[in-house]
Amino acid sequence: MNLEQQLKLQAWVDGELPDGEARQMADLAVSDESARALVGELRIAKTILVGNEPEVKFPESPDFFWSKIRREIERTENVPAEVPRVSWGQAWRRMLAPLSGVALVAFLSVVSLSVFQRGEIDDGMKYMVEVENLSEDVGSISYKSQSENMFVVYLYDKDQETETESELDPMDDSIIQ
Amino acid sequence: MATNPEKPAVPDEKLVRRAQRGDMVAFEELVARHRDKIYARAFSMMRNEEEAVDLSQEAWVKGWQRLKQFQGESSFVTWMTRIVINLCLDQLRKQKRQRAESIEHLDEELGGVERQMPTVTINPTEGLERSELRARIDRALNLLSHEHRTVLILHEFEDLEYKEIAKRMECSIGTVMSRLFYARRKMANLMMSYKREELS
Repeated sequence: MNLEQQLKLQAWVDGELPDGEARQMADLAVSDESARALVGELRIAKTILVGNEPEVKFPESPDFFWSKIRREIERTENVPAEVPRVSWGQAWRRMLAPLSGVALVAFLSVVSLSVFQRGEIDDGMKYMVEVENLSEDVGSISYKSQSENMFVVYLYDKDQETETESELDPMDDSIIQ
Repeated sequence: MATNPEKPAVPDEKLVRRAQRGDMVAFEELVARHRDKIYARAFSMMRNEEEAVDLSQEAWVKGWQRLKQFQGESSFVTWMTRIVINLCLDQLRKQKRQRAESIEHLDEELGGVERQMPTVTINPTEGLERSELRARIDRALNLLSHEHRTVLILHEFEDLEYKEIAKRMECSIGTVMSRLFYARRKMANLMMSYKREELS
């Protein structure tokens, strides 16, 4: 009898075989003497153990054991939630995004105010329509109306662009006239 | 919290519901009721008192933390037993990684010694007092490798199927079958040797 057959006999003893194979093993256990002996041994080992788990005595006082559990529960519940670590690069990126936006707004404000204070729109203003934005995180949309003497720049967070695209409200962004 | 033997005990389910709402006193009562069983399972797997106490304590803390996930599909004590078994298996895996795989160990996995053992044909425990039988089982379990012992515990004491054991032990069903086979062979032969000791 090879190991595969021995393991199948065991699976039969444990009721883990499908019907067809179970019948084959039952026949083998009747016809083959060594198979019968092995089945006998496996059944002895199974019978000895089932329902006879050794009893062990708990080695500590119940109160002491509970006090350790309670302390550990209280300790874990009082630990503040761990703040995720942010690398220097990520921190810089986070700071640079709003800073570059603010710088852009400030720059355009100063330029447009100086233009309007002069009370004239010269040809140079045409070139201000194209605003160069070097920020990877902040996007901008500009609009110029010669008749209304108006120049508008919308700034938006590129990360949220896809989420808010359909409900973009220009009033939420910076508007410069 | 002491249980009053004259009053009918509050069922586990009710205590669990109270504990799920944050009632620590109810949880303490659950610990008092099932502490010994949870410890016994940890001890049977680890064979070390200190480790078994630590792991059963960890199991109770985890039990409290995950109590809201307990849906009552099994009994509370079965659920807790599964937690402590998983912790013990994790611990045994850590220990296994730390120690070098010896030739003897690999040989045992493949049933090198057990293959040579004679087949036990008579029940070597017949007529034994239950306490003596348990003492012999304990002695024999102590001599098995942790893989053989664990598979016996999960199959015979926890009544788990091959598939479930394989999942918990992170091995194939074939490995479970061969481990169980050699563990049983070794167990039967150890019990036979105790019988011979008794007779001589």
